[in-house]
Amino acid sequence: MTDLHRLDELLRAQEGDAGCAAGVPIMGQYVEIELRGEDPSERFPGTAIHLRVCAGCRADHDGVLDAARRFGDLDPEE
Amino acid sequence: MRSNRSGTVIGLVTRRAVVLLCRVVTVERPPAATPDRTSRRWVEQLHSGHPRHEHAAARLHDVLHRAAMHELHRRRGRLGALAGPELDDVAQQCADDALMKILVRIDAFEGRSRFTTWAYAFVIFEVSSKVARHAWRHHPLSRDDLTWDHLPDTLTPKPGDQAERREQLAALTKAIEEDLTPRQREVFVAIALNDVPIDVLALELGSNRNAIYKNLFDARRRLRASLAAAGHPLPEDEGHA
Repeated sequence: MTDLHRLDELLRAQEGDAGCAAGVPIMGQYVEIELRGEDPSERFPGTAIHLRVCAGCRADHDGVLDAARRFGDLDPEE
Repeated sequence: MRSNRSGTVIGLVTRRAVVLLCRVVTVERPPAATPDRTSRRWVEQLHSGHPRHEHAAARLHDVLHRAAMHELHRRRGRLGALAGPELDDVAQQCADDALMKILVRIDAFEGRSRFTTWAYAFVIFEVSSKVARHAWRHHPLSRDDLTWDHLPDTLTPKPGDQAERREQLAALTKAIEEDLTPRQREVFVAIALNDVPIDVLALELGSNRNAIYKNLFDARRRLRASLAAAGHPLPEDEGHA
């Protein structure tokens, strides 16, 4: 990465960023789109932008995705 | 002992959830999607009047606990020496709190995802919040984390840098000092320059993640604009309003 690109990353503030709060109610849906192998940025472009920039929200997203993959879908009657 | 505690907690949170549910003004909304059969079973059985309620709540609590424990291990770099029974206690608290919130909001589940995926989000957010609080309590921020002094070594001009690069960084330094509000400067310095986690900073400043992110976004946009105005626009200059 060049110095110029490092600076560009440091100051990244992309138009359309949905912010932290927007991702909370749709996180399950966002993750399921990924689990189906589809691209969630088509349906949730603002959150996709945000997750590239916000480390806190990205960690939460990665945790939900990891949990859904690892523990999967369970039946209450099993 | 552990199962007794969990059983007690489930009973407690169920009763609290019923009380809270009675207080919530419910607005009937048409379902945004048709939940799958398994998800529908979860929702039905987690309602307090269902004969399998206790069983379903205990089963959900069990998987939330396992998910919390896994997530705590995934974030162990921020937990210091926390391990063993103490770590398990935190996982229990995360599962307890997540279950309570799920029971309170059970009618808000719209079926846009599988029920369990929706539920995992609750417990991950709990883990995220508790890890941040632990980090903040055990590794308090220093004055240096928040106070503007100079650009980090990775950005400071090197002897061989061209004049243009040196001018660009001088313009950035000037913009940080002169163009940001005190709050924007504090947030930018802590998160962007000193890698302070956003939730830890939010706790330190008595704020929340969303508000701090807005400060950071505005600071970055203003700095980009300042650089452009000084004749040093950045390559991907999407940030301008």
